[in-house]
Amino acid sequence: MLRASGQMAGQAVDLTAVTEAAAGDAGVEHGGRLLAFTDAAMGEDDARLDRERRALWAVLSPEAFVDACALVGAFNVVDRIADAIGIPLDPMLHAASGDVRAELGLARFGSAANTPQAG
Amino acid sequence: MSRGRSAPHGFPTANVRYMATPGTREELTSAVDYEGAQVPVREDLRDAHRFLLDHIRSPGTWWTGGERVAIAAEARGAARCALCRERRKSLSPGAVQGRHDGPHTLPENVVDAVHRIRSDPARLSRSWFDGVIAGGLAVTRYVELVSVTSLMAGLDYFARALGVEPLPLRTPLPGEPSRHRPAGAREGGAWVPMIDPADAAGPEADLYGSSDFVPNIVRALSLVPDEVRVLRRSTEAHYVPVPQIPDPTYHRALARPQMELIAARVSALNQCFY
Repeated sequence: MLRASGQMAGQAVDLTAVTEAAAGDAGVEHGGRLLAFTDAAMGEDDARLDRERRALWAVLSPEAFVDACALVGAFNVVDRIADAIGIPLDPMLHAASGDVRAELGLARFGSAANTPQAG
Repeated sequence: MSRGRSAPHGFPTANVRYMATPGTREELTSAVDYEGAQVPVREDLRDAHRFLLDHIRSPGTWWTGGERVAIAAEARGAARCALCRERRKSLSPGAVQGRHDGPHTLPENVVDAVHRIRSDPARLSRSWFDGVIAGGLAVTRYVELVSVTSLMAGLDYFARALGVEPLPLRTPLPGEPSRHRPAGAREGGAWVPMIDPADAAGPEADLYGSSDFVPNIVRALSLVPDEVRVLRRSTEAHYVPVPQIPDPTYHRALARPQMELIAARVSALNQCFY
């Protein structure tokens, strides 16, 4: 969806930014700030999170900032459900995402075992 | 581009059996206001969080309200659990033995499952799951436990990101679990039985709405249908309504590429292949 939404918005999204610690903006507006904030929210360093939160406030509307927080929450839910239930990637999504999975090396994730031939 | 709040949802309103109806005690639940937040939190999100807290404290399908709140408390505590921290550092989580931090009002095998799902989801495996079930936890109860644990993770990560204290858990509501096992749930595909869209009939006829494509993440909790309905509502408030997920133009105040960048990063950090 990241690639598709970027294409629809006329943006060339750099998918590798998703898995690289020192990524740029990924070709997404304020992408660097969004990634740094997400990393901080997922981590345990409260001071870092406070800095990144303030940095994000500086570039986003309050409504967009709340959306960012909601997304951090949402995907911590669905990731756990997916991995604890052991669901495979849907065949249609599997077929459509082979190049992305290969580019990002997602087969190294343990939960790839839940999807047969998850290369 | 479409704006999220004005687009049609396509799904009927989630019909969870204990959902607030006029004149019931659920109406009296105090609102979630996030008064300590530096920015206003939109009303539909606050309503969803109140709904989730009520959902957690209500008798479920296989656990009582008290047990569900205890699961939620363990899930919250797992974020600071010393044993979980040591296990995350270990090459093999099973190699580190000990006792989890927390109130331990639930059996140890239940506590351990909750902590593992909350603190180290990337290393859950089929063999681990088989061990949990062989240890005496019914698969129906496991699925409901996964839902409560995961929903709590979402609430707590939202609060952390926003910069406020986690919402307090509410007092459990009395009552017995419904023990409704859907007739359409079948083995195949995942570790647990799920309902295929073609088998979503009778009490489960509403489960997947009219969508042509029902992804496995929507089907995942279908052994406990009410948890699917709750996940749908949660997803709608936090991300986008399920039918709009495949529409790359659908967005909120954030542009869709910004939304998907955050989503992808969270999943990468969680090492979630799905």
